[in-house]
This record gives sequence, C-alpha cells and structure tokens, in this order.
Amino acid sequence: MEKIAITGIGVVAPSGIGRRQFWANVKAGRSFVKEITRFDASKYPSHIAGQIDDLEKYSNISERLLKKMDAFSHMALIASELALTDAGIDIKKEDPNLVGIFLGNAIGGWLYAETELRDLYIEGREGVSPYMASAWFPAAPQGQVSIYYGIKGFSKTVVADRASSLQAIGYARKTLSKNKLNMILAGGMEAPVTPYALLCCNTYGGLSEDNAHPQAAYRPFDRKRNGFVIGEGAGIMVLEPQQRAKARGANIWAYVTGYGTTCDGKDRINPDASGKELVRAIEIALSDAKVNKEQIDYISLDGVALTDWDKSEISAIKSVFGKRAEKIPASCPKSAFGNLLGASGALDLIITVLSMEHNLVAPTLNLDDPDLDGLNYVRGQAMEHTINKALVISRGRGGINSVSVIEKGEK
Amino acid sequence: MADTKTKIKGVFVELLKIKPEELKDDLNLSDSIGVDSTEMVEAVIALGKAFSINLNAKDITKFMTINDIEKVISSKISVK
Repeated sequence: MEKIAITGIGVVAPSGIGRRQFWANVKAGRSFVKEITRFDASKYPSHIAGQIDDLEKYSNISERLLKKMDAFSHMALIASELALTDAGIDIKKEDPNLVGIFLGNAIGGWLYAETELRDLYIEGREGVSPYMASAWFPAAPQGQVSIYYGIKGFSKTVVADRASSLQAIGYARKTLSKNKLNMILAGGMEAPVTPYALLCCNTYGGLSEDNAHPQAAYRPFDRKRNGFVIGEGAGIMVLEPQQRAKARGANIWAYVTGYGTTCDGKDRINPDASGKELVRAIEIALSDAKVNKEQIDYISLDGVALTDWDKSEISAIKSVFGKRAEKIPASCPKSAFGNLLGASGALDLIITVLSMEHNLVAPTLNLDDPDLDGLNYVRGQAMEHTINKALVISRGRGGINSVSVIEKGEK
Repeated sequence: MADTKTKIKGVFVELLKIKPEELKDDLNLSDSIGVDSTEMVEAVIALGKAFSINLNAKDITKFMTINDIEKVISSKISVK
C-alpha cells in the first residue's frame, strides 16, 4: 500500500490559530482553559472551556455566507484554508472530481440550531432562518468546504463521539491508498461552547467541575483528576499519496501509515475497564503500518481524566508494550486547551506531527501526581526527544477505539 | 413606484449583506448576484413583512429581476 503523506496543516484552537502560534503555546505548556464568557454559564456545574474569541480576525468569509453557517463550519473553512496554504496547493488547479473531504465531529452545529429553535417557539415558523436546515447538521462543514472550493470528489463525515476525526483520517487514508482520489482535506471540527451543547456535556457527567481553578481543572492520569474540560476548534490536514506529494516537491510533514478501530460493546457510556478492545485496535494499527511495537517512540494519549477511561487506556498500553511502556514518552497536551470532542483526535495527531518535526514532546498539564504507574509521562514541561514512529489514541463514548500510526516524513 | 423599488432593494441589501450598487433592476437575481433558493425563502418572508402583504415562494423566484418583483408586490399592494 502506498504511503499517505500529510503535506498541509490547518489548526484553529484555543491555543492558537495557525500551526506556528498553536505549537508555540502547546510546547510551552500554556493553558487556555478559562471561564466561559460567550454566555452566562455560571449556573452549569462545569462552566469552563477552551474558547476561541477572535475567529473573525482570521477569516475572509463574507457576511452573506457567514450568516448561513454555524461556528463549526466557519472553523472548518478557516482550518481548510490554512491547510491548503501550508501545503502550497492552489485548489483551482486541482481536478475537483479527485479531491475529497473527510471530517469528523460529535455534536453538530448547536449554536445555530438552538437559536433558531428558540425563535421557532417564540415567533413561530416564520421566525426560523431557512438556513437552519443546512447549518446545524453534522455534515454541514463538509458541505460548506465543498461549496467554497468547488470540491466534488468522494467525501464523508464521520460521527463517532470523540473518536470522530481520527476515524475520518483513517477512512481518508484508506480511500487515498486505493487510488480513488488525488488529495483529501481530512480532520475534524467541534463547537460545543454553546448553552445547549454545554448542558449535554454536563449531563453526560464527565466534565471537571473545578471552576475555581480553570487552568488546573483538566488533569489526565493525575490522582486528583475529576473529568475533562471541553474545547472548541478544528484541525484539518491535506493528505495525499507519497508519490504525488514527492512529484510536486511538497513538504512532507509525516505519513499516516496505520489505522485500527474496534468497539468495546459493553456499555452505552463507559469503556470496558479491561481495555482489551483498545489493545486490539493498537495491534491492528501496528499490523496495518507493518511497524513493530518496538519501533514506537511516542504515544499520544487520549486522557479523558475519568477513572475508567484512564485506567483502561494505561492498561491497554501496558498490555501491548509490556515493560517497554515505562520507556516510551507519552503525553496528553490537550489538557492545555480542552478536549475538542469529535475534533480531538485530529488535534492530537497534529501535535504529534509537530512534535516529530521539532524533536520535542509537548507536555501534559496538571499531571502532578500520576495515579497510574508504568508509563513515561511527559509532564510539566516539554521534553527533547526524537520521534520516528508514533501512536495516536482516540476514544469515544461507549468504547469506540481508534488508533493511528504516524511516521516521520523525509526532509 | 420608486419607493417600492427602493424598499425592495433595501430588503435584499440587508439580507444578503451586499452593496446597493450590486443590485441591477433588469438582471435576474440568480445570474447577477448568485441568489439561491434558500436565500429566496428568506427574501419572500422579509418582503412580506416589509410590505405587510401575503407572499409565498411561488410569487417571487430567484429567476426574477428587481423590476419583476416590483410588479408583483405593487399588484399585491393595490388589492389590499
């Protein structure tokens, strides 16, 4: 199977818009979790998040178009533009039938939806924007990106809770490897900092309620962990076959070489405590990449900061890597800006690629007292380390396990 | 009549966030400024409110010009 290259990176995150600003903040371990200011969230049990306040500053999208879309589509458009620019691709010169879009998200465009539903009940049918039908649903960003660039190739939106975007990237790689398309915009976006979406996240019961200390609230694998913090944003990459990327002289950031996914099939919300299906997903991904587990030199952790999730994740890693798990640097840098739910896997993968590029592992924040032994956690500050082959783990509610293998690109 | 046309144009300028000079009286809305069917749904509702008349999606389409729309609205106003 031909290797699939990552040739462009587009990031829209609380820690920064554009890969340079994002990486500068992530590697420094600066936290961007704070009290929600977009609306009065003070009555919610958890009212802290990684929020993006200045999206418009980075956007060239007309007001006429903006009023038709939710923030998650807007984020996807900005991230797509950044990724295409980074890849040096002029989309007008591409065959539109051979370009695809594979994006993941978990909840859809609720800021738009809840505003219009409010108007429905207050003003009646005529109070609802006709764009409601096309703005809120999970595939809306795929549609907006497709229309904006005139992209017409095979495309997909994946909805698989927090594993959505890593799954989308997995499918994108598979599609490219069958020579069905020339390139794909792959990743995910999520905009959960809205009254209704925040309510749903709260009732799920997995959020940290340490509102008094926003920057210390998200503490994956720490003894005092009490849940995760939500964040909003998008991570989209340009993927293309190695041969094409090399032929056009593209900068190859890294390769996506393996992918594995399994389901726990145990519970509607919680994972299987044993982590055995995550073990299988890791093994499938390694086998798919034809990479020996001894070659993995970095693990990007999912790190939900809930006991069952953290324990099963560590248990699975130890089961696969044995004693060597104590040596492989592992980190969960999203503790600095929040869990972007369906977009979290894409952001984790981008951080992994940037870590490879800079020979620097970004730190896990707030992991002061590891509760679970047996891993080489990178915490507090970044660690110099050469990464050639990495594992990215992303998991969704009910036990959806997704794992990618990423390999360093040649310079 | 001129007031009716000015008011119609004002509705489109506000809805589409465009400059008034982008609207041409004798070119159809779809070809000239790319109005789509969803934008027309919004326009029909807004024009109905602006002129206090009952309009539906069949009365006004994206293939009409501002002049065509003025005729439709004027006829509706005259039978009020």
